[in-house]
Amino acid sequence: MTEAPVLGMGLGMPSRLRRLGPRVGLAAALVLLFAALSLARPNFLTVANLINLVRQISINGILAVGVTFVLLTGGVDLSLGSLVALTGVAAASFAHPGQFPVIVPVAIGILAGAACGVLNGVVVTRGRVAPFIATLGMMTAARGLALLISEGKPVSNLRGSFTVIGSGQVWGVPVPVLVLCLVALAASVVLRKFRMGRYLYAVGGNQSAARASGVRVNRVKMFAYTLCGALAGLAGVVLAARITTGQPNAGAGYELDAIAAAVIGGTSLSGGTGGAGGTVLGALLMGVINNGLDLLNVPSYYQQIVKGVIIVGAVWMDRSRQNK
Amino acid sequence: MMRSNARLPGHGGSGYRGDQDVEGPGAPRRVSGRQARVPAPHCAALTVLVLALLGCGRTAENTKNVAKQPVIGVSMMNLSNEFIVMLNREMEARAKQLGVRLIVNDAERSAEKQIQQVESFAAQRVDAIILNPCEVEASSPAVDRALADGIPIVNVNSETRSAPSAFVGSHDEEAARIAIEYIAKRLGGKGNLVMMHGFMGQAAQIKRDRGAREALRKYPGLILIADQTAEWDRAKAMTLMENWIQSYGEKINAVFAQNDEMAMGALMAIEQAKLRDKIVTVGVDSIADALEAVKAGRLDATVFQDARGQAAAAVETAVKLIHKQPVDREVYIPFQLVTKENVARYLK
Repeated sequence: MTEAPVLGMGLGMPSRLRRLGPRVGLAAALVLLFAALSLARPNFLTVANLINLVRQISINGILAVGVTFVLLTGGVDLSLGSLVALTGVAAASFAHPGQFPVIVPVAIGILAGAACGVLNGVVVTRGRVAPFIATLGMMTAARGLALLISEGKPVSNLRGSFTVIGSGQVWGVPVPVLVLCLVALAASVVLRKFRMGRYLYAVGGNQSAARASGVRVNRVKMFAYTLCGALAGLAGVVLAARITTGQPNAGAGYELDAIAAAVIGGTSLSGGTGGAGGTVLGALLMGVINNGLDLLNVPSYYQQIVKGVIIVGAVWMDRSRQNK
Repeated sequence: MMRSNARLPGHGGSGYRGDQDVEGPGAPRRVSGRQARVPAPHCAALTVLVLALLGCGRTAENTKNVAKQPVIGVSMMNLSNEFIVMLNREMEARAKQLGVRLIVNDAERSAEKQIQQVESFAAQRVDAIILNPCEVEASSPAVDRALADGIPIVNVNSETRSAPSAFVGSHDEEAARIAIEYIAKRLGGKGNLVMMHGFMGQAAQIKRDRGAREALRKYPGLILIADQTAEWDRAKAMTLMENWIQSYGEKINAVFAQNDEMAMGALMAIEQAKLRDKIVTVGVDSIADALEAVKAGRLDATVFQDARGQAAAAVETAVKLIHKQPVDREVYIPFQLVTKENVARYLK
């Protein structure tokens, strides 16, 4: 980042401090929650539950990292939940026992997601349709396509080598967690070390300035939407493997959880600030709330209220800290 | 609006698959082609799309001989739900046998959309309406509207507050009662139970909850130690069950999930925790996955909701009403317990 002083000026480029800021506030919120939950429930702070917790956030985490790229450009992707269903169904359709090697359904899921991402990107850049509308259209159409190819029924009877992606472990670490770690690490490297990463911040910070400094804005946006779609495809594959079926009605509302995780993690809805690390912390916070409320056996209605309050509270705490 | 108008005419007897022809390959291609260079390309494209959709519909209608065939308008609560899809297919099958034509609309869980659909059925002067209500209260205006226009209306599978011409369905309370009684029998009337709710506030959730609690009163030794919603969703149910296993571990003796999707999710968490032999798992609906799981000895039981029975009775009742024949105001199709012993009967 230091090697691009021109882009850095006035482009809403996050200084190191501002990028660290959200994480400190968030980390504090997390520590607080952890402490409270450990006191209330002795079985919260056990290795088994922590592994359980991280596995539960992996799908939201993967989606949230993907949508972080789009949010950085100042866009939004509402199609994530539907893409999870579509890619899950597509992957599952090729994952029956004795059909294809396991790489085929995985590749099909990711490529289907990427293809939808490309389409989102084309509509946003070439068609100059507002990202909200473009991806809302994709959300509806992709859901329809998922129902169409699955005939409205779950696609089940999947081979063991595929479902391992959802339920297997490597050295005691669940595969979905491993996938999330790799995705977050790679995203972090792209955002910090690669030119494309800097361009993403630049486009989101000030599009005209970025264009004036020679950034090919449309290409950067295409990259963001395509990557986001591909990661939605990956999440779709992991979900299908975890629940051992491709569900055409899966993933409803996942897009909002993913966007919330990114925003809680310090990514701005107006673009230009944020990062993958914060997003994963955001997803973790949401996961802890969910897991904790279940462990405490808080009744459903109260759970929803508490979740809402904690999400807004966490972001509030964070932003007020930043403004000081 | 555009969508619902477009899909009505071309619907023929092919069920909700009729959409695929209309919205699938044909229409969009016409749009992106030659029309793109007209001064206001967007408006032109949209107009062409609408015309194309209407065109598809009309030609389909012309080719079919629909002269004197009775027409029944059908509004289904949600064709993304496996059970509702099954119900719809069985209705199509029975309608074909009886020589009536169905116009099927999907309300996509929205009572408001459902009311609009019934209004447009009334405007088209269909001979009868079959309503698969989304909501007890909010779908009632649809029933009132049909009756006000003198069109007989049959509610299938779930109820509305307004009384229709006839109701065909099952008592959801009964499904829960059957499940709890099975669990009580398996546990010898003593043990700890957890319950997964459907979407809170929906009729099926409320009734299955009520039925379960009524049944539990008969077994003071069965303790409901936790209950929580997993929103009818397999992935959410798996997460919830994992959390419960963390929290209660081997204290849990049985799970009652208010539908099979959730039962399957819970089952996966139970199997991964290697507690399969210690926890009795029961669902409701008898979807294909659940029946396979019962057959394989993974799921202990599911409660069969008779989609074919409900669908056939609904269409038959509607046809009788069209011909002004007497009908039963309420037709109840019983639930049945499915275990490994009798599962073969339910697997096709």
